[in-house]
Amino acid sequence: MTSVAIERTSDERTKWIAWYVTLAIMIACAGYLTRNLEWWVVWRYREFLMKGLWNSVAFAALSIAIGMVVGTVLACARSYGDTIIRTIAISLIEVVRATPQLMIILWVYFIFPEVTKQTISPELCGLISLSIIASAYLAEVIRSGLMSVAPIQTESGYATGLSRLSILMWIVLPQALRNMLPALLATWVMLFKTTTLVYVIGIVEFFHAATIVNSRELIPFTVYTVLAVVYFVCCYLMSYTVKRLDPKYVLHS
Amino acid sequence: MSWNVIFENLHVVEAGLLLTLKLTILGIIGSFGLGVLVGALQAYSRFWGKQLADLYIEIMRNVPLVVKLFFLYFVIGLDAFPAALIALVVHQSGFIADVTASGLRSIPREQLEAGSTTGLSRTRVFLHILFPQALRVTIPAYTNQFIELEKNTALISLIGLQDLTFVAQNIQIETYRYLESFIVVTVLYVGIAFFIAGLMSALQARLVLR
Repeated sequence: MTSVAIERTSDERTKWIAWYVTLAIMIACAGYLTRNLEWWVVWRYREFLMKGLWNSVAFAALSIAIGMVVGTVLACARSYGDTIIRTIAISLIEVVRATPQLMIILWVYFIFPEVTKQTISPELCGLISLSIIASAYLAEVIRSGLMSVAPIQTESGYATGLSRLSILMWIVLPQALRNMLPALLATWVMLFKTTTLVYVIGIVEFFHAATIVNSRELIPFTVYTVLAVVYFVCCYLMSYTVKRLDPKYVLHS
Repeated sequence: MSWNVIFENLHVVEAGLLLTLKLTILGIIGSFGLGVLVGALQAYSRFWGKQLADLYIEIMRNVPLVVKLFFLYFVIGLDAFPAALIALVVHQSGFIADVTASGLRSIPREQLEAGSTTGLSRTRVFLHILFPQALRVTIPAYTNQFIELEKNTALISLIGLQDLTFVAQNIQIETYRYLESFIVVTVLYVGIAFFIAGLMSALQARLVLR
């Protein structure tokens, strides 16, 4: 047993050393090749860009929070509702999931004022559309979590005389949450990346902020590289947590 | 509602639909090929190939598509269509590679060894033994990725390609009829997505062991 353990750790160590060496070489090469780029120009806009990033994070967090609540309701409706409720939930989820995210944002932006006859701010509109997207995608994840809890858990809940709601709240959901955590985090990463799209309706989040900096300074390579690196770091931290959480990390769709 | 708006602009809608379909089909073929290649590299290569594939997958999975699209279009300065196609292919191939790698890892290693012992080359072992078995497990995940790609084609309107989303906005700007153009375009998108899903589940039904 010990030999296996030692083998594994030394293998790990080689892997990390290799990574660090590669990374150092890559950064050195990149720094040398791009020494003529004006990185300090981007640094001058750091406050503006940070505000954009903060907007992105706020939009993602709010829409995920709303999406978790609505998604749970939709998932329960799809799993436990009678035929009519289930059909409604399925059609809502599937239609939103089959429509491009960009189209959903445009739908809310153009149609919502048309139907309700009142104007809404782009921010609210972005939040609504992101929440719709988040609800549909999270509903599917939560449903798969609910399915993963063994039926005997519900049955024993009934046997102890709990109501349906209490069974859901105190028995099924906590266990489901543990099972679906990796998929949930993966979906959160996806939703964070989706926030880039609300720039089409004029919200200044990180992506839009960077394009504004670019159109003022005309240094596309520098700006878009910074953009890619920042998004990569933010999302990678979350994906890395996913991989740490779930050592088996098999299929996720 | 006046559906005349759509009938008058039918050729525009048709052109948009064709562009979307073209990008979807080319994108699915390209990203599937590239993704399977990288996934195989991730699952079966030794140290460096594996690290390289991991790096590729992580970069592709964690950078939003719009950033890639704008990078290719504005920084590298490709034409709109190649930029869109490359961005779509490269973006989705990261996800497909991840799916493929986890599917391949679910196949026992003995299969590879048995294949090599029979004297088949590594490529043949992969193509005839390992990949078909992995395919049986991964088809639902591939379906999701293909539909995701189809939906992502909506983003190419941002760099000025005249796909369905662009057409919808254009009709709306020209005629002030919001609802009609949006309904038609959304129905078309949903229709393509369901078509892909149906095709893939038919494929899966054929692959099931009897």
